Amino acid sequence: MATPDVNMKKKMLVFVLALIVIGMGAVAARLFYLQIIKNDEYSKQATRQQLRETEISASRGVIYDRNGKVLAQSATAWTVVISPVNIAEDKREAISKKLSEILDVSEEFVFEATKRETAYAIIKKKVDWETSEKVVKYADEINTGAIYCEEDSKRYYPYGNLASTIIGFTGYENNGAYGLEAYYDKTLSGSPGKVVSAKNAWGIDMPTTYEKMFEAEDGKSIKLTIDQKIQSIIKRNIDLAVKEHNVGKGAVAIVYSVKTGEILGMESSGGFDPNAPLEISDPAISEMLSNLSGDEYAEEKGKAQFAQWRNRAISDPYEPGSVFKIIVTAAALEENVINENFSYNCTGIPISISGQKYDCWKYGGHGTQNLTKCLMNSCNPAFITIGQMLGTEKFREYFKAFGLMELTGVDLPGEAMSLYHSDSVFKTVELASSSIGQSFKITPIQLIAAVSAAVGDGKLYEPYIVSEVIDSDGNVIKKNEPTVKRQVVSKETANKVALMCEQVVAGSGGSGKYSYIPGYRIGGKTGTAEKLDSNNGKYVLSFLGFAPADDPEIAVLVLLNEPAEAAYGSVIAAPVVGAIFEEILPYLGYEKEYTEKELEEKTVKVSNVVGELTHDAQAALRKKYLNTKVMGSGTKVLKQVPESGEVVEKETVIILYTDEESLNN
Amino acid sequence: MRLGVNNARLSQEKKSVNAGSNPEVNRVGWFTKRGNVDVTFLIVVLLLLTIGIVMLFSSSHVYAYYNDGDSFYYIKHQLRFAILGIIVMVGMSFLNYRVFKKFVWIVYVVTLGLLGLALVMPAKRGEFHRWITLPGGGSFQPSEVAKFAIIALFAYFVAKFGKKMKTFRYGVLPFIITLGIVGGLVFMEHHVSGTVLIVLLGAVMMFIGGTRWRWFVLAFGLIVAGVFALVMMKGGFEYAAARLESWKNPYNDALGDGYQVIQSLIAIGSGGLMGTGIGGSRQKYLYIPEPQNDFIFAVVGEELGFIGAVLILILFGILIWRGLVIALRAKDTFGSMLGIGLTAQVGIQVVLNIAVVTNLLPNTGISLPFFSYGGTALLMLLAQMGIILSISRESKLEKS
Repeated sequence: MATPDVNMKKKMLVFVLALIVIGMGAVAARLFYLQIIKNDEYSKQATRQQLRETEISASRGVIYDRNGKVLAQSATAWTVVISPVNIAEDKREAISKKLSEILDVSEEFVFEATKRETAYAIIKKKVDWETSEKVVKYADEINTGAIYCEEDSKRYYPYGNLASTIIGFTGYENNGAYGLEAYYDKTLSGSPGKVVSAKNAWGIDMPTTYEKMFEAEDGKSIKLTIDQKIQSIIKRNIDLAVKEHNVGKGAVAIVYSVKTGEILGMESSGGFDPNAPLEISDPAISEMLSNLSGDEYAEEKGKAQFAQWRNRAISDPYEPGSVFKIIVTAAALEENVINENFSYNCTGIPISISGQKYDCWKYGGHGTQNLTKCLMNSCNPAFITIGQMLGTEKFREYFKAFGLMELTGVDLPGEAMSLYHSDSVFKTVELASSSIGQSFKITPIQLIAAVSAAVGDGKLYEPYIVSEVIDSDGNVIKKNEPTVKRQVVSKETANKVALMCEQVVAGSGGSGKYSYIPGYRIGGKTGTAEKLDSNNGKYVLSFLGFAPADDPEIAVLVLLNEPAEAAYGSVIAAPVVGAIFEEILPYLGYEKEYTEKELEEKTVKVSNVVGELTHDAQAALRKKYLNTKVMGSGTKVLKQVPESGEVVEKETVIILYTDEESLNN
Repeated sequence: MRLGVNNARLSQEKKSVNAGSNPEVNRVGWFTKRGNVDVTFLIVVLLLLTIGIVMLFSSSHVYAYYNDGDSFYYIKHQLRFAILGIIVMVGMSFLNYRVFKKFVWIVYVVTLGLLGLALVMPAKRGEFHRWITLPGGGSFQPSEVAKFAIIALFAYFVAKFGKKMKTFRYGVLPFIITLGIVGGLVFMEHHVSGTVLIVLLGAVMMFIGGTRWRWFVLAFGLIVAGVFALVMMKGGFEYAAARLESWKNPYNDALGDGYQVIQSLIAIGSGGLMGTGIGGSRQKYLYIPEPQNDFIFAVVGEELGFIGAVLILILFGILIWRGLVIALRAKDTFGSMLGIGLTAQVGIQVVLNIAVVTNLLPNTGISLPFFSYGGTALLMLLAQMGIILSISRESKLEKS
């Protein structure tokens, strides 16, 4: 019997040592490399493929008005989801049919979704609770887990299209898409949480209990400087004015706090319903669109959508016209190129500046006027003269100081920049037209901020619309305070200007008389600007009023863009501002103060306003120390109570019925 | 050296010496009559088997549930064969291993028959003709038997030729011919990894048996040239390059060729030092294809971590070391060669398997002994462990 020799044994030892040391050593080293050195990298890869992250939406913050009224709020909604890979082929049709019925989506769409090779396909978003219950019930009936509803949220805007162009709206992912919803999106949206769960390679959740939840951090709420009540007052009034005068390009109104920069109200007529932002709110445009199709339809609809979403108060620069004379007056007084004793003789003969002739709007001229009269008459040659006295350089200086060469910085998206002559071309002719508010464009928000500086305390404030940021526990975590940009004119100058403007409204023959309210000290200035770029006799009529005139706190700007008939701001914009003041001044706690003379007579005879335009009727009655209450939304007064000829006490409320509906109630 | 074992052996020494002095060489009894088995080896075998079965269940139940609707599908099958295997192992340990010396040619011829049969059997599992289906519905890979046949035959050759191993006629020719036929048949089954393993085992046996170095050098040169020629001839160079590229950079085709290896690396790498704990693997949730087969060590690495994986390597190391000791102590060359051959088979498979699973070597189908699913393979393995135990019963105490 052969026995293993020593050589053989040596080789066995060599072989086994090689196997253990080299072979096993190599794999052990490799394991060390993979499991210890590369552990992090592979763990990340493992996590990436094994875990599923399901987002928990953070609840979006609320938008409140200044008194805590809810302007925008999120509520639970449901997303209907199917898992196509878990739907048997022969059941696709039945499921598609039923789901399309419940959800009002096309059967074809659902059927296509059931064919996809995925475990997650969204069928419909933002479904309400009732509909989601129907879906769940159906899923139970056919006993499938492949159809289910996921919780989501939907944004609700309880006041519909009120302040819609300010508030904006949210998109499908609950992200802010427009307006404040977009501008304050980060604040409002919070950060979503997530549930991390393990899934197998087929995408199905693993039957293990591995699940980790990261709480969502709810969004913060914002409180606006907007007052819902004021907002609805201005909206009602400008909507009415648009109807009264067939205003082609709509109206804009701003209510502004003169000495803080807070925006109390801001409305662009028309607007949209943020609950359904894609729908066209204007019935006429809707009608027009229904006659279109294809690309043309899509293009026109897109245009109409952007138009109705547009916050024209900050996005559309216009020629302010005569309202701008307030600024010129303040600048000239501040620079002492004129004083209150300035007098100007308007002869009716056009004045000539570098060969360019400028008429007064009044045929025959205004005659000799002091500065206040110049403002009351809105006399163009007078202000062109004052402008020339101020000179191009100083004019530019003040134009800039009043913030008309910069964005106001209002915390709203889409603020437009003003348009004005460049320095090099700004000569005496340009100065002449600029002095009467023509040949440059500024936005309504720029104008109201600048005029507020000129008549308030001389300080230019940065307009703002969000006053507080509130966390989900109700704590105020950020408070916006008034920001003074600069002192433009002295308080004395501003006071002088304000008192002159009061005469525009209250003085005999003042152009702003239709905004006059006995008992209140209202100042203001009309504006009638021919749209030079349209070149076909289109006007922007405006009135900017403020109160109280001796210490202005509230300013109201109303502008009517392209009314049908040629008219003056004094005639059609001033009554609107008057009507707005009539409602908001008492609401804000301002009390009427009558002179002793006014108090002597306790009663007045009611005049006849039946047949007049609603705003005109209100203005007429206001003048008679009567209050008005408009019933309905008609443009003309159909009936008044008490009737004309009745003798009533001052301050009696005259009820004006403006449409059939109001008559019947 | 383990004292307890040595003491046990001391009492056997005389008997062994007596047996060795028996002049009747050719008359072989069916059963070994003397000595105890190597306890360390037995314990390590049982430990590895236990761990292997636990890990097989852990790695297979998800796959089994989704593919066969029964989480216990694989473990039930494997457990039956493990129990049967233990019985066979114990039986084998009582069998006088020398009987294989007598039947070595029969085993060889039967192997050739089985390999031939596999070639004509219908293809199964998309793996060409590697499997023989048994009448009972089971199946086995004849290449498992072929490995044993080569080890037994080569042990027989070495024992028979002795000093003549230095010559070409005895030390090379018979080996090359017999190995060539078996290897060729396995290769015809498109079973590359099996061919490599068998050739490797044969080479190890020849190396230990005393075949001269120069022949290995020559063979190595011929193999390289042959592979090169084959590749050039078949125009398969691009295929080979692609395979090589997929090995070097599995992420180039992460969802195709590289998928299995990447999933394996993710499993092992994410296991880290301590692992996710037994049953804690997430990669077995259908990420690793057929985690109960060749890639079971990926799940082991993920669940038991670096520490667990290395402990298992150490167990295999002990097994191989004890196998060596048993081979060294065997009284006859045949037993010694048989022992080292069977030990080498386990050791080489372990190293190659883990090397593949960790992408140290290109992906080929080599199973992990004691762990990978496969009833007949486990049965064969345990039978072979029984043979090593049988050899250990007659171990001499003297160390060389």
